[in-house]
Amino acid sequence: MAQNINPHYASSSNPAKQNEDTIKLKDNHAVSKRLQKELMELMRCADKGISAFPESENLFKWIGTINGPQDTVYAGHKYKLSLEFPNSYPYAPPMVKFITPCFHPNVDTCGLICLDILKDKWTALYDVRTVLLSIQSLLAEPNTHSPLNQQASYLWPNQPAYKKYVDEFYNKHRDS
Amino acid sequence: MSYKKEDLKIYWNKINYAFPILNDTIFTDCSNAEYEEIQQIIVGLGIQIKIRDLVFVHIEKYLRQHVAPSFWSKFVKTEEDVKGFQLFKSAVNDLYDSVSQFSGLLERLTILHNSCSDGKPIYGEKDVISGFKQLVRATLLAQLPLDFQVIINNFYKVSFNVFDYEYENNDMGEDVMCNGCLNECSDCNCMYIVKVFHDTNRKLMELQLLERLTGQVLTNFIQMRIESHIQKLCTGTFDVSHIEFLENWLNTNVMSWLTRIYCSGSSKPSPDDSNTLNAIAKFKQKLSYFLYHSYTKLRIDQLFNIIIEYPDSQPAVDDIKICLEKTDLRSTLCKSLQSALETRLLHPGVNTPDILTAYVTTIRALRHLDPSGVILETVTKPVRNYLRNRDDTVRSVVSSLTEEGAGSELAEELVKFAAEADGDSDKDEAWDEWNPDPVDADPTVDSSDRRANDIISMLVNVYGSKELFVNEYRTLLADRLLAQSAINTEKEIKYLELLKLRFGESQLHFCEVMLKDISDSKRINALIQQDKEIETLNRKFTSNAMILSAQFWPPFKDESLELPEEIKRHLEAYTKSFEALKGNRTLSWKPHLGNVNIEIEIGEKKLDLTVSPFNATLILHFQDKPEWTLDELHQVMKVPVTILRRKITYWQSMGLITEKSTDLFVLVDGSDGNKANVATNQVQEMICEDDETESVMASAHDQREGELQVFWSYIVGMLTNLDSLPLDRIHQMLKMFASQAPGTECSLQELRQFLDTKVRTHQLVYQGGMYKLPKT
Repeated sequence: MAQNINPHYASSSNPAKQNEDTIKLKDNHAVSKRLQKELMELMRCADKGISAFPESENLFKWIGTINGPQDTVYAGHKYKLSLEFPNSYPYAPPMVKFITPCFHPNVDTCGLICLDILKDKWTALYDVRTVLLSIQSLLAEPNTHSPLNQQASYLWPNQPAYKKYVDEFYNKHRDS
Repeated sequence: MSYKKEDLKIYWNKINYAFPILNDTIFTDCSNAEYEEIQQIIVGLGIQIKIRDLVFVHIEKYLRQHVAPSFWSKFVKTEEDVKGFQLFKSAVNDLYDSVSQFSGLLERLTILHNSCSDGKPIYGEKDVISGFKQLVRATLLAQLPLDFQVIINNFYKVSFNVFDYEYENNDMGEDVMCNGCLNECSDCNCMYIVKVFHDTNRKLMELQLLERLTGQVLTNFIQMRIESHIQKLCTGTFDVSHIEFLENWLNTNVMSWLTRIYCSGSSKPSPDDSNTLNAIAKFKQKLSYFLYHSYTKLRIDQLFNIIIEYPDSQPAVDDIKICLEKTDLRSTLCKSLQSALETRLLHPGVNTPDILTAYVTTIRALRHLDPSGVILETVTKPVRNYLRNRDDTVRSVVSSLTEEGAGSELAEELVKFAAEADGDSDKDEAWDEWNPDPVDADPTVDSSDRRANDIISMLVNVYGSKELFVNEYRTLLADRLLAQSAINTEKEIKYLELLKLRFGESQLHFCEVMLKDISDSKRINALIQQDKEIETLNRKFTSNAMILSAQFWPPFKDESLELPEEIKRHLEAYTKSFEALKGNRTLSWKPHLGNVNIEIEIGEKKLDLTVSPFNATLILHFQDKPEWTLDELHQVMKVPVTILRRKITYWQSMGLITEKSTDLFVLVDGSDGNKANVATNQVQEMICEDDETESVMASAHDQREGELQVFWSYIVGMLTNLDSLPLDRIHQMLKMFASQAPGTECSLQELRQFLDTKVRTHQLVYQGGMYKLPKT
């Protein structure tokens, strides 16, 4: 976990405490730069099935798009997510949630996602691209042991029925 | 006092006798002595005023009814010059005669008038004679017919011909025809014409009708003569100055003729006749202005040709320069030259290098014409705008800048600039030669800038930035460096130094590195060749590499080409050797560039060729397997089929490969019946260059396209996540987030065009002012 600690914050606990504002300002700049770079990388590589872009002029709020992985019940679906980056990014994980309602054992009705790398397993080596790829693979392989959506978790073993329900659900909510 | 009726009758008869005009005749035998008596009678009767007025009334009537109509009746339209000449002569003679008949009458009238002493002016004049002349003029002009000028014209034309001939062609005695009167020499009429001419003029002068009657005609006529003379003299030749000659001509021929008209035959006016002198001087001023005016006009019409021939046409330009000071034709010049440039130069049919050459000569000629540079600035504006729109302008400029040999004026200019740069003269010294800018100058431009701009910077200014030029030069240099196998770097370095003087060190730093790369790679190549592993490989064939620093060279056109395994192994070994030598660095091969020397053996025939790696790879594949389909070749070489098809024609033309059936190519074997085919191409030891002369560098346009392509991924990213966006939003987002990418200055206009092409290729959908991605 040590690598997850922002050296600035670490040093700020020193007796010779620095002015927090300047740190924040400096950080802000560094974070912007990092996000800018991530965006460039994302645009350059252009992975199939995932994409993200800042929502407006604010670089700290992005919209992401995930295509449902092939050969799963989610194939052909397209899910929008919102990504919010804290000032301490990349030392703290971004807040990610589904905008398009998603029927999935690890996604609750508000779109919140239960994924370890977005919580305690987060490291500064992850970036937007890996986050989106993880979520994409989460769609294919849910963790039914700690579900947020009991119904989905219950239905999951019966794939044909699950597929039917998910399609209906998706078609009903895609535009909301 | 009363008189008898008979007395009165006698008196009346006597008065009639003295003034026959009262009965509408002129002839009378009345002598001076007789009139004395009659005069006394009139005075005695106290009716002198009445008689005088009565006589004038009758004179007026007579002139109106007889003299004027008979004069004008001669003025009929006629085609022949000579007939017109005669008619005018006789008309003037008759008029003169009939007017002179009045002389006796006028004498008596003068005496009568003197006795009147009422001081009443006669037709606005003081004495009877001038009053009478006034009356004659008034009467004549009152009845002026419409086409009276025709025969006057004829008259002067004929006589001017004679004079012209006298002055110009004194030595052409052999002609059968007399050029003066257009008769055969044996019955030349010239003398007669001259005599009549002077006679007529004298009479008109005496009647004071010369100005009124012939002034207009004369002016028109002389102007016509001047114009045609200029036209005759000046068409087609620009290398002689005509101004002095024309002035001379005006002073001798035209003026002496005029003088003769005004002074009735004598070639010099009498010095005491100030009226005539004045008239002639005025006339001369008018004519000399007209001369300049029409000469300038002619030259302005020819200005485009003059400019094209500059500097051979410098005398003509000098002439225009002098003329412009004397006339008011500056704006005409600007307008007409501008339109000439537009119609003759600025259309798609003209090659860019030709436009540039014309532009350069225009700059030179107009510089000479107007050192302040104002005309130049106005006139060449459309040229500059036009050049900006041509794709190959920069390339043409740069290549002509660095072109060697005759005809590349720009290269000379570049050298000249280098020479001038040293002698920086002190401008303040010339303060007393300062002149204000002409009125049509653009006040926002500093006049010293205008003056200082030399030709190269004017060309560079077409685009407004040096960078474009430097970039293009870089591409050109790269092309040249790669094209030559034996590179004359010395020459390139010389040009680079010259260019550096102009564009500055920093701009051309890349080029310097490029040149250094060339010399470095020679050295490194030599070192690598000594490597043991390479040496063993080299037994089969040698390879030499040119090592370029990717950072500093312009981007290459991307072409894929999969080399044969054997070659690849060779190159890998080379790379390894390089890595050993240079640490930390590696080579990334550009397989499609360079040259391959190959030796082909077919049957007994042997071919030595220098070809592109592409063609070499192609033929090498046929070494292993004589039959290939296009698709198979595509598989091994990883080259698009269309390009393959294009390239394979090279070998087809050499007679080594034939297309057996569609898309199936076969090696022509020396042993089979197609031998003759090879024999026809007696290409022993032929060094054959590929016909591809196109640049291997990505052109500026392609580069731009590539830069916009970078934006495209951003745009796709944007639209996938944000659904649909208007143009300005996209532009704004790009500015914010894609600013790290190269070529960040993308105008809204450019972006719109780019997006529109995407819409056209169905990669985008434009709906209600918003762009979005098409539904998949």
